[in-house]
Amino acid sequence: MSSESEAADVNSYTAFGGEDMQLFRDAVRSLPSHVVKDLLSIGVCMRCIFRLFGMHGHVYSCSSPSSLVMCAILGEPSCPEEHMAVSSLKGDEDKKDPSSSDDSEVEPEICSICLGILQFIYYDAKGMLVKKRSAISLALSISEQIKKEGNQLDSFSLEVSIPPVIQENEHNIHLYMKRKYRSELWFEERLSKCISTKEALKFAMANLLEKVLDVKSGPSSCRIRLTYAQTKPSSMVPNLAAGGEGCKRRKTVANPGFDSVNNKLVDASNECFDFSTTNRNALGESSTNGLEDHESSECIIFPKDKVNEPCHLVFLYYRTPIYIGGRYLKFSRNVSQTRWIIDDERMGEASVEEIIGGNILPACHGDSYKFHAAGREDIDVRMLGSGRPFLVEIQNARQVPSEALVKEIETKINNLNTKLVAVKNLKMVANEGWTLMHEGEAEKQKQYCALVWISRPLEDQDLQSIASLKDLQILQKTPIRVLHRRSPLEREKIIHWMKIETIAESSQYFLLHLCTQAGTYIKEFVHGDLGRTCPSIGSILGCRAEILQLDVTDVKMDCFLVE
Amino acid sequence: MSNQSFDESNILETKLQDKITQKQISKRVPDFDQNQVADEELHKLLLPDVRDLPLIPPSSIETNFVSYFAPDFIKPGHDQYVYRHANGLCVIGLAPTHVAFKDGGGITAVDFNVGKSDRSGIKVTGKRKKNAQHFESNTALCKVCTQDAFYIVRCCVKGSLLEVNDKLIKQPELLNSSADREGYIAIIMPKPADWLKVKASLLSLEEYKKMREGS
Repeated sequence: MSSESEAADVNSYTAFGGEDMQLFRDAVRSLPSHVVKDLLSIGVCMRCIFRLFGMHGHVYSCSSPSSLVMCAILGEPSCPEEHMAVSSLKGDEDKKDPSSSDDSEVEPEICSICLGILQFIYYDAKGMLVKKRSAISLALSISEQIKKEGNQLDSFSLEVSIPPVIQENEHNIHLYMKRKYRSELWFEERLSKCISTKEALKFAMANLLEKVLDVKSGPSSCRIRLTYAQTKPSSMVPNLAAGGEGCKRRKTVANPGFDSVNNKLVDASNECFDFSTTNRNALGESSTNGLEDHESSECIIFPKDKVNEPCHLVFLYYRTPIYIGGRYLKFSRNVSQTRWIIDDERMGEASVEEIIGGNILPACHGDSYKFHAAGREDIDVRMLGSGRPFLVEIQNARQVPSEALVKEIETKINNLNTKLVAVKNLKMVANEGWTLMHEGEAEKQKQYCALVWISRPLEDQDLQSIASLKDLQILQKTPIRVLHRRSPLEREKIIHWMKIETIAESSQYFLLHLCTQAGTYIKEFVHGDLGRTCPSIGSILGCRAEILQLDVTDVKMDCFLVE
Repeated sequence: MSNQSFDESNILETKLQDKITQKQISKRVPDFDQNQVADEELHKLLLPDVRDLPLIPPSSIETNFVSYFAPDFIKPGHDQYVYRHANGLCVIGLAPTHVAFKDGGGITAVDFNVGKSDRSGIKVTGKRKKNAQHFESNTALCKVCTQDAFYIVRCCVKGSLLEVNDKLIKQPELLNSSADREGYIAIIMPKPADWLKVKASLLSLEEYKKMREGS
């Protein structure tokens, strides 16, 4: 963004530049001026001064005035004469580019507490030093990056993360002020209201971002995350154990469904953030994480040769995962539920998750998807009837699909000419969709239809003996076909009811309809798995039984039943 | 799948009907019709075409396992089978030509207490199959007794013993009636490399049949 257009944008957003200046001036003047001058002289920036004194609100968004104006506000007599112009005194700051760099004489180049964070000075992702010098400029830059990816927001939540060294710097300043101004009247009252650097930055940025992005800030699934990290230690260094912990804590930011986004962030900030959270000052005296006061010793709080390095800013915009749920049907006996690859070869011709997820993801312009279903069926088993509940979780969707778009996706999937999979009742669901699906999973009943062959002709008696068994308890040893990856256990399962449907032209084939407890292995219940499932259809009918085909006809769950 | 469009047009029909005949026809009837249609559609999918069905379908063993045979294992006449599943697990048992079946009266007892331990006492737990004993191919699994004699059954395959068929203790007659299914002896999990070594010495079903022709 050229500085001209940026200046123009900045001006358009700060149409009330004059009001801002008034706010700023009043704020400065409300503070004891000798303290302000003193703090400025030891390298504290104006916004840190504001927050040390507990100021809230809009004043943080105001652009820093030029040094001339600062002098005037402070009533400082020793200002450079050549800039003395009456118009400036009247506060015609909106005519002047607010990002002029004249103020290095009054305000420090880099604040010794916030290391330039509240001065909007930082190293960007490419390692270039950026000096925005105004909140609005940073806000515009952030907004540009967000919109570049085609993101659509309906709100946002601002998250800020700063390196711990700032807390230490602040503590040092507190000590300094305590020592110097303890006796003054305002001390107790005002200093106790000190607000944190994070809060001040949020004050500075939030309402400007609201204007620029044209949405409200607050709890939101759209997250704007500003992570400041140190590029190198601000003074010498040992990596104390506590420091190690600090690093670890940062690495395990636990945010479910946030993996790819988090990895990017962690990689970027870890590059610069390997250093201690405590440091030694020039006298070799260590300050501790416990932030004790070293009242007794004459320690130098600010070694004269201390160099304040700005922080590295990693800006991240992401959306928390969105969920789209529904029920799926599978008509093919050659389609697995999830992608199944053995030795680089795909098993089956397609997968339910790829067909569904692969059609939802592009519509949301997300980074990736995860497929969750309430149970699963084998590749050669069809899923019919009301379908099986599923959820597709989309990471970092740039656009949240509308109801109409979701309907379109449903139609699209159902009209694919391969006709392998269909979906029903597709719609966006809130985070509760997850618990809804897994609630009481073990109690859910499933209904099946199996094509069975027996080694002797079917008799009328058989239909009766099968139909009469209600809530039959069976014992299943872990089927041999899954024994390589599951624990060898014996599981009790219940067959709630069964019904034989004869097939007209055959005496040894029939359809077996049955309803069983979740987790029952149906195939093994029919053929007996070498006697390891007991009783089995074969043992009940007293002959050999084989299963040729299996279909799931009902997954008895309440979720995702309606559009 | 035409179910969906069918459902939707049914819903429209339903709404119309409701408006016309509010008091007379109960709301339940149109819903029932709708479900019935769905059920009929479903049923059409479920019913197989009998012409596609084989007279005798392949058994679950034929479908899920590859059968191998070890003739005269260690001792002559001691024919055993090894059914190998695609997941690597091997089911071990007595082949139909095993000498034990030639004794009058068939098999009368099975004892897993051979070698150093009672094979039926081992408890294997967990996905990693903890506590599974590692046996060589000639390690004894059990001994089967007939009226006159007893015969040692061995692993045939080097690997971890996952399970023995302890039903045989109480029901040794399973070996007489269905040694190839419910009368299996044990399940062993060989390492891939060990399987390849032993495979070379085993016979396929065809080879085995040929060898034992007439016995």
